Amino acid sequence: MGAYLAKRLLYMIPILFGVSFLVFSMMHLMPGDPARMMLGQQAAPAAIEALRTKLGLNQPFLVQYIHWLSNILRGDLGTSITMQIPVSAYLFPKLINTLILAAGGLIVCVVIGIGMGLISALRKYTWIDRVLMFLAQFGANTPGFWLAITLMWLFATKLGWLPSTGMYDVRTGPSFIGLIKHLIMPAFATATVSLAVIARLTRSSLIDVMNAEFIKTFRANGISESKIIWKHAFRNILAPLLNMIGLQIGYLLGGALFVEVVFNWPGIGSQIYASITSEDMPMVQAGVLFIAACFVLINLINDIIIAFLNPRLKS
Amino acid sequence: MKKYLILLVVLLLVFLQGCSSQTSGTTQSNINKTLVIGIESEADVLDPDRAGGWVTYRINRQIHEGLLTEDLSAASKSQSVPPLKPSLATSWDVSKDGLHYTFHLRKNVKFQDGTPFNAQAVEFNFRRLIDKNFKYYDQRSASNLTNTVSDIKSMKLIDDNTIEFTMKKPFSAFLRMLAGSSQVAMISPTALKKYGNNGYSEHPVGTGPFEFQERVKGEKIVLVRNPNYWGKEPKLQRVIFVPLSDDSARVAALESGQVDMIAVPPPDAIKSLKEKGFNIEYGAPPHVWFLSPNFNNPYMKNLKVRQAIAMAIDRKGMAKELLKNTVTPAYSAQSPANDAYDPSFVDYPYDPKKAKQLLAEAGYPNGFTTTFETSVDGSGQLIPVPMAEWIQQDLAKIGIKVKLQTYEWISYLGKWSDMSSSVGFNQMSWGMSTPYYLYNIAYSTSGANAGKYSNPAFDKVVNEAMTATNTETATEDWKKANELIAKDAAIIPIVSDKAPYAMANYVKGFVVPNEEWYDLTNVYIKKSN
Repeated sequence: MGAYLAKRLLYMIPILFGVSFLVFSMMHLMPGDPARMMLGQQAAPAAIEALRTKLGLNQPFLVQYIHWLSNILRGDLGTSITMQIPVSAYLFPKLINTLILAAGGLIVCVVIGIGMGLISALRKYTWIDRVLMFLAQFGANTPGFWLAITLMWLFATKLGWLPSTGMYDVRTGPSFIGLIKHLIMPAFATATVSLAVIARLTRSSLIDVMNAEFIKTFRANGISESKIIWKHAFRNILAPLLNMIGLQIGYLLGGALFVEVVFNWPGIGSQIYASITSEDMPMVQAGVLFIAACFVLINLINDIIIAFLNPRLKS
Repeated sequence: MKKYLILLVVLLLVFLQGCSSQTSGTTQSNINKTLVIGIESEADVLDPDRAGGWVTYRINRQIHEGLLTEDLSAASKSQSVPPLKPSLATSWDVSKDGLHYTFHLRKNVKFQDGTPFNAQAVEFNFRRLIDKNFKYYDQRSASNLTNTVSDIKSMKLIDDNTIEFTMKKPFSAFLRMLAGSSQVAMISPTALKKYGNNGYSEHPVGTGPFEFQERVKGEKIVLVRNPNYWGKEPKLQRVIFVPLSDDSARVAALESGQVDMIAVPPPDAIKSLKEKGFNIEYGAPPHVWFLSPNFNNPYMKNLKVRQAIAMAIDRKGMAKELLKNTVTPAYSAQSPANDAYDPSFVDYPYDPKKAKQLLAEAGYPNGFTTTFETSVDGSGQLIPVPMAEWIQQDLAKIGIKVKLQTYEWISYLGKWSDMSSSVGFNQMSWGMSTPYYLYNIAYSTSGANAGKYSNPAFDKVVNEAMTATNTETATEDWKKANELIAKDAAIIPIVSDKAPYAMANYVKGFVVPNEEWYDLTNVYIKKSN
């Protein structure tokens, strides 16, 4: 297991290097001059040239990349062009907000997804099963932003039950209850696809297990149905479920980025969007890098969990 | 078990409902004096000298003031151009040769941090922009405001409340530029010394009717009434600007009462908002959405082709059917709401038959294929892709096949003024309350002359307009310049935005002037309950 972990950690290094190179190249290849962006459209050519020299923009591409990367490795993500503050100090709280949203989505998809799957499996081929699985199928094919706007229309505009934007009430400031109320709709919009996947997996796994020979033996021995379901069948499907939940975290994070813009959730996604429209390249670069690093990290954790659950990989 | 679960859910709902009506330490009367505005994007820096973009000007000008300002108290219909009026200078004298400006400053004015406003403070602010040897000189501010301050040669303090500027050459748009979009607003020297050029925007301090309280980036900017304001006290206690970049989210936030008014409601939502009792206010700000024919493209070099394009586009139809009357058709490169704008001026009327004939005369009876570049979004861009598709359909009717090439806003801005010769034309939206705007978009050496139009006669008349010492002469020169652009079809104006704002019916006193920004001092909340 130790060797597997070490190998997995070592794999991360070239992946992160590759990601950083892609992020830097992407921004470098985009048209537009950061010096002109900083000094404005009316700036004199001499002033732009001087700033380009100062920022090292006249250097060859690889030199610029190495310089940028060495700064990043020392924790310096650069300075925001529009806000003139260190990017790292600004983006870290945004990342936490994104993780709060992704965590909300995770709770929704685990609780409701497993719940739906269990009910469907235990009431298989009944109308309840059909309705729930139709909803799951519908959820799996629903774009997150469309669902976000629909939820907003229904629960914020028509019914007035939930707030449609932001993380807290701007008039009254932050509160925990306010946070929960603001979280419900974005969390649902983020979780819908993953929820559907988990619901369907729970249903099919549980039906399979409930038809297994050992369950029939338990029944024959007079063990109660609830004990069979919770103590034996559910435990049996836990491993594949955990595996799938781990895989869904990456999707939740990706979904959160789009949903943030619609609900004005102050996370990395809406910040990247705002930074793109305001031409703030250091912010965009760092934001994309943050997200990429999160994906890599989540995949690593997921692989480790799978390794723990799968004895063949442990060796 | 079930009963307990139901009870728990009911209690939770009651609890949440109860929490929603609490105000967490903010008094109800305070909330009733708070205006929450949903703005279309995150704001730039709260440093007026450095900031770019209309969204930010609208916030900065509530905190900061310039030597003079525009009177924004009148609604759009009652005056076409917001007149200049005194602000921190009570009056000014301009010498006959246009080289000396003497400003008489308002007495007993203090910045929001208590720093006195006087001639020394004015000198400090301008040295930040023009004196490279000054400790607080700011390259970024200097570049941003170069169009306003580059002709200032020197400053002389006459006394504590009088300052004289000497210009390198006459600059007819100087006063309008000081008051308008590139407002050189006065910031507290104490705050600038304390926080530095880079830190100031986090702690802005001006003399304006509202002072900065808090900014949570991406969430809100909170301003509160300045209790020591020298002018008329604002009626609102607080103003909160909330960036909501998604337009459906803006509409939902307004409808659910989370914000009291929104900027840029989408055209499709206007009718339904009106039916639900929201007020829609329009203006006629200096805004033109226009095409720039590429003078390096073989087809576009031909005057008749450019004229054919101008006559083939149904601008009126686009304004009415596509943009639901949230814009007016534009027939002049000059932006509305400035002294040289003539609302009756029509460059080319809609006449597809004549357009087809012109195209045949140009040697293209069967038309040709060309590329049209546009952004997919962006500030002031309205709905660029459906608009481009409308143009594409209109031009197809006369035989010009248009291939659309779209970019997201940042990429587009980076390449906008650098069209390759294979591109026929591109598009931009802009405008200023000074006719000087024409210099930007069409002067041969201007960086913002995207089509690379070059006409010595145009450059000559613009030079004359810029250095004229008499306003009437300058205005006439700018009108001549506009006629030359139209004659050459060098810019093809399409529509001008009416800049709608949608607001709850309890928001009173909000006026949309003919400008890209507004005055909030007369706004108040009056709820019937």
